[in-house]
Amino acid sequence: MPAKPTQINVTALWNESTKHPVKLDVTQFDNFVYDMSRCIKCKGCTWVDHIYMPGAKFTTKCPSATRYLFDAYGAYGKMRIGYALAQAKLDWTDKLLEIVYACTLCGACDVGCKRNLDLEIELTLEALRVQAVKAGKGPMSAHTEIAHSIEKKHNFFGSPHENRTKWLPQMITPAVKADVLYFVGCAASYKNPEIAQATAKILDASGTPFMLMPDEWCCGNTLYSVGMVPEARKLAHRNVEAVKQTGATTVLTSCAEGYRMWKVDYPKMLNISTADLGFRVVHLVEYVEELIKQGVLKLAKRMDAQLAYHDSCSLGRLSEPWVPWEGQRGWMGIVEPRLQRRRGTNGVYQQPRDILNSIPGVKLLEMPRMKENTFCCGAGRGTREAFPDFALWAARQRLEEIKEVGAEVLVSACPWCKNNFAHAITQDGERVTVLAISEVILASVEA
Amino acid sequence: MAISKEAFKVLESIVGPEYISDDPAVCEGYRAGPGGYECGLGYERVMTRVPACVIMPRTTQEVQKIVKVCTRRRIPYVPYSTGFYGPRSHPHVRDALLIDLKRMDNIEIDEKHFFAVVGPGAIYSPLQEEAMKRGAYVVIGGGGSQASVIANLIGDGWSPLSHRIGLPHRRILGTELVLPDGELLKLGSLAQQDDPFWGEGPGPDLRGLLRGYTGLRGCLGIVTRMALKLLPFQPERLEPTGVSPHTTLTLPERRVKWINFTVPSKEAQVKAMFEIAKAEIAGAVTKVPLFWRAIAKAECKEEFWDIWGKENSDTIKNFHIVRVLLIGFTSEEQMEYDERVLMDIMEEVGGEPRRTRPTDESWIKNADSAGMWLMCGSYVSLDYVIETLSQATVHGEMYADLKWKYTPPLMPDFGDPGWFQSFELGHQGYSEFLVYWDQDDDTTGVDHFYVETSKMNIRNRTYTSLLGPHQPLYLTGPKYGPNYHKWLLKVKDEFDPEWICHPPVPLAHDVFMEQAAWMKPLKDWKAPKKLP
Repeated sequence: MPAKPTQINVTALWNESTKHPVKLDVTQFDNFVYDMSRCIKCKGCTWVDHIYMPGAKFTTKCPSATRYLFDAYGAYGKMRIGYALAQAKLDWTDKLLEIVYACTLCGACDVGCKRNLDLEIELTLEALRVQAVKAGKGPMSAHTEIAHSIEKKHNFFGSPHENRTKWLPQMITPAVKADVLYFVGCAASYKNPEIAQATAKILDASGTPFMLMPDEWCCGNTLYSVGMVPEARKLAHRNVEAVKQTGATTVLTSCAEGYRMWKVDYPKMLNISTADLGFRVVHLVEYVEELIKQGVLKLAKRMDAQLAYHDSCSLGRLSEPWVPWEGQRGWMGIVEPRLQRRRGTNGVYQQPRDILNSIPGVKLLEMPRMKENTFCCGAGRGTREAFPDFALWAARQRLEEIKEVGAEVLVSACPWCKNNFAHAITQDGERVTVLAISEVILASVEA
Repeated sequence: MAISKEAFKVLESIVGPEYISDDPAVCEGYRAGPGGYECGLGYERVMTRVPACVIMPRTTQEVQKIVKVCTRRRIPYVPYSTGFYGPRSHPHVRDALLIDLKRMDNIEIDEKHFFAVVGPGAIYSPLQEEAMKRGAYVVIGGGGSQASVIANLIGDGWSPLSHRIGLPHRRILGTELVLPDGELLKLGSLAQQDDPFWGEGPGPDLRGLLRGYTGLRGCLGIVTRMALKLLPFQPERLEPTGVSPHTTLTLPERRVKWINFTVPSKEAQVKAMFEIAKAEIAGAVTKVPLFWRAIAKAECKEEFWDIWGKENSDTIKNFHIVRVLLIGFTSEEQMEYDERVLMDIMEEVGGEPRRTRPTDESWIKNADSAGMWLMCGSYVSLDYVIETLSQATVHGEMYADLKWKYTPPLMPDFGDPGWFQSFELGHQGYSEFLVYWDQDDDTTGVDHFYVETSKMNIRNRTYTSLLGPHQPLYLTGPKYGPNYHKWLLKVKDEFDPEWICHPPVPLAHDVFMEQAAWMKPLKDWKAPKKLP
């Protein structure tokens, strides 16, 4: 028997071990083989954090695993499937594509896993879609149509490009040059003008000069989300350069998906840090909360209503800034240099709550699943287009929570969430009103 | 041969097309490994198979029908609740049907009579929350809040909160079991009427067959419904706070409080536990491995090793902690009394209270087993032993000594003697030994260590849990009996004459010994040439 070691030198053990290069790059599937191989089926990706488990109802936070039930649809199944693909032990089929794409990429799995472990689940799921596209199997046909629209018309809907600024109210004229650039996004430009208009009016009411992009194009969220990285990267380059040309120091969005693209996925695709974009990215709720704190904006008009706030995934758990990282994995899976993992801890959770709570008369009710444990609305990241029934089902799950807490108004900070909820409400004749947070803020600002 | 189209159609007619699949991608999602409890070891690599088909019943009647089809058509099947228990809860033979029970997740509480009735898909944390809303609690087993309540109760099912009540047979009440041939067996008072309030019921108590000490991994049938005892708790809310990963329950300090004590020696540790138990105070009394503290402090794997790398065999040897959970079950005054008694005991044994956070993130609602994989990526609890309190500590030291031989590939833990604690108010001492490794290393040593621990337990006559379903039955059976193996195999033959329910359990580890060439040098016991 060898001598009993009385102490270890971790650095020496790591130096002497076999090491493998690893990079947080979703275009190379091999980067995530370790993460796939270490999934332990605790299903922390699916259950609501046990500390916050609300009881026998609303126990899960993963729409895909909850709707489709088979383990393959949870992150634990996808990690195993991904591992088999990486080992060339599984072939792409229509069912496999469905498993990979019938998922909102909402990040619930990632923060759930990272409560205890260091596995990069969200990036692995993104890489799985990139792999599907590389294999010539993905994305889904609905996504390809969107990609065509974006290429031809520079927007998600295939609407005429020249209609992009039609939402602008007559009484508001954006500045030609300003520190704040409002990136409106496709949804608010074409389908939800009320959100764009409310945002512009709030900025106007606070005395914030703002500009628009001289020629705004789609942010590319769907392209990136379905694995079409080269196409999405082209847009990232184009849009980031366009902002830099304007000299704006702040890009403000009223869309959670767009916010995540600008703040996280653009830097990810461009292999730079969020801090190195050359401008800061804020969502309207962050900006308004600052204005309220500074006393610049007052939400004085009373609103007697019971509201519930829905945390949009891309504003909450998916919104922590991006820092590129590459290194080596060695002894016991330790990586060097040190990696600051994104665990969803510092998402934008409190600001919208503080805003709503500051409105006189508002009673803010929390749903059983909130903040990092929120159940996704079901719309995002290409889901509603390819799997409309699934998206509708997910929205209905959330509306059950609204009814459970007795709220009259569901407030969201993303047009995609708002539209999906509105669709479910219309379909089912529910007696709930869904509003964008910009609309709620504006209603309290205006005298 | 895969499950035939004809058989598939019959099964599909039971549950509907939405709840059955033989698609290769869907089935791949049910693979045991490569990661998880006991995964990455030879047993997982050699003994597990991806199922040929997965089916998700909703009711006991559907389970019965499925099982009858399997019996008639000789389709091997495996009951599966969450899959967290690693390879031993996954198919071991080709062309098996995996019966995923997650849709059977009912939780009903009988508030008046203080019990809950659950299905095999129900996990612990929702049950605990429902119990606490009613001034009650359940013991969430060390398997964690994500474990199936039923699977955990018939498999393991204990935690530091077992200090007051002990092993789960005391908590299992009326139970419903679908036998391997599809017949429904009702245990306890359920056998007489549809009221599961009593576990034994009139006549022989069959819970021992179902559970024994650590269960039979579903090889004797499928539990589809179980009532379990709720235990009275205190009324104040334990408030969830924080954002992941820093989520915790803030404790109402005048009613619930953890206090950690350092004591001067192992003997003092044991004496303190005995005295606390004799005084009938506390909700939990435990000593946990020192590296769990490092896990709790670390933000990530790398930070864990920064912290753990500072320890050495002396710091481990000289670190004696007793962790006590006080609960004011009846009143604040009761807890004040308990605390005074506790402080008197600690003064007597030389214990010093340490600063302890007024929170719980590890045992009451979130038995945090998932954190076990943080530092190395691979983990299994290699043994659980019930002894007297004083013997439990001896067991841990024996283990630690044997472990040196297999370190590496095992994680260097400098001889930490594992986890031990009081059960049933000190009547039993519980010892659990946990091992960690990196599955990318050569794991032959871990496979060997597994069997060597059995031999060590046999030599030292410790009451191990690692019998048939975890170790070679022909190694352990003759030594714990002398004919435990014959008895168990007769029971299996009686319940499941065709061996279609989770084959080849309870002889799975024996089969592994035959199939893994690297295990042969360790085989120094007699076994039949032909195994099922």
